[in-house]
Amino acid sequence: MTVHIVEDDPGVGDALALLLQQIGHEVVVHPDAESLFEDPPPAAQDTVIVDLGLPGVSGVQVIRWLSRLKASPKIIAISGQPRKAIEKMLGDDQPAILLRKPLTEEAIIRHL
Amino acid sequence: MDEDQSGGGPVTPSVSEARLSSVLGTAVDGIVVMDHQARIILFNTACEKLFGYTADEVRGQNVKILMPEDFALAHDRFVSNYLTTGEKRIIGIGREVRGKHRDGREFPIELSVGEAVTPEGRQFIGIMRDISARKAVEQRLAQAQAQLVSMTRISALDEMGAAIAHELNQPLTAIMLYLQAAKRQASSGSGADSKLVEIVDKGVNEAERASKIIQRMRRFVEKREPERRAVSVAPLIRECLELVTLGNACDGVAFSIDVEDDLPQISADPVQVQQVLVNLIRNALEAVRAVEDKRVSVSAGVRERDMIVRVSDSGGGVPAELVPNLFKAFSGSKKKGLGLGLAISRSIAQNHGGDLAVEQAGSKGGAAFVLRLPLYAVSASADVQGAGQEMEGSSE
Repeated sequence: MTVHIVEDDPGVGDALALLLQQIGHEVVVHPDAESLFEDPPPAAQDTVIVDLGLPGVSGVQVIRWLSRLKASPKIIAISGQPRKAIEKMLGDDQPAILLRKPLTEEAIIRHL
Repeated sequence: MDEDQSGGGPVTPSVSEARLSSVLGTAVDGIVVMDHQARIILFNTACEKLFGYTADEVRGQNVKILMPEDFALAHDRFVSNYLTTGEKRIIGIGREVRGKHRDGREFPIELSVGEAVTPEGRQFIGIMRDISARKAVEQRLAQAQAQLVSMTRISALDEMGAAIAHELNQPLTAIMLYLQAAKRQASSGSGADSKLVEIVDKGVNEAERASKIIQRMRRFVEKREPERRAVSVAPLIRECLELVTLGNACDGVAFSIDVEDDLPQISADPVQVQQVLVNLIRNALEAVRAVEDKRVSVSAGVRERDMIVRVSDSGGGVPAELVPNLFKAFSGSKKKGLGLGLAISRSIAQNHGGDLAVEQAGSKGGAAFVLRLPLYAVSASADVQGAGQEMEGSSE
């Protein structure tokens, strides 16, 4: 499986990719939603880690798009926003897994 | 004063006097007439009410009896200065001064002074209005404004806290993940470097500590319900004492812990309760810093349905005048910090259905802060956020 990371903060994206690669995953990092859309859509066995606070097309829209794919991948939403802001952003589009930053290896691995 | 010069025809003195006394008696404002030697010639009804003297009592007396001492001392000088130089300091200007009631009470008045040249010499007319009520309103307004300012500061602080937490989260996330990756790298393969793993581990611990601080800060600014679970008070107190003594110079301070045996557990957020206790113990340490006999003691016991934790010290105690505002934000007399510690501590206690109060320790001196926490949770709050750092979407 491939782990797709959609994260605009280069430090977070790079560190996450490095860690997941070490664990043995194949990792693709996208700095924004647009670049994720340019590639072939993730496969059902893939995992997509999406930051909610993306510039341009928002993380929430990415989640909506992913969950409507015929064979939708596993979605892990991440965010450093306050809880209220997250709730407001998400509305009814609750992702199955939402992790708040700062992230730990343990929390991510548990869901992979 | 004896003649009505503004009237049309000739008026007999008696009519003029009758009219004057009617005017004086009707006036809501206090009216005093004095001669050039500052002796009171006339004192109207409103003045009698204002100052508590009758007109008969004050007639012929120096007008100074109506003033507080500091004003009275200067008054003679003002009068003679005006009479010799003609320089007007108050005549035709009016200003706010203080009057003195017969019973010694001082009150603010608005005073305007006019001058009349009469056959009997120069006379001065003072018209006075009691402005205590207006002053009181002004003071209340000022207090309300000050409160508003500090509320705004608190809410600005909240917003700032949330923003800082968010901004710090990004690099902190990266740091933690990098370190964890580095640890994996260092511990894997043939060239495992145990020393490096150990160092990176320490780095991870520190980053986690920073992340816990952010979580706590975020939790505080998000004003969520405390995360309650069963907590044993005795180990919690010992941990707090350790925390405080680690970071502070406490030479010569005698600490004592007096915890009742078999204390029941309480339902509380241990991190928050610890925050309160650490704050109280720190304050106690600060209070004994300057005294000879340095004692700080923490006791815990059950009283009815509450757990009572008392942090007392042998310091100077809390000055009585500070007590009413002690738990208000930004009222701290400390030079360091915002004076938020006790305000936050009390709000934590109250969020738990308890309270935080101060007591003077009596003959032994010093202050005692009493933290009261109910043994059983007042409102069963669902644990919104499981292990702390993650929020499973479906559960919310």
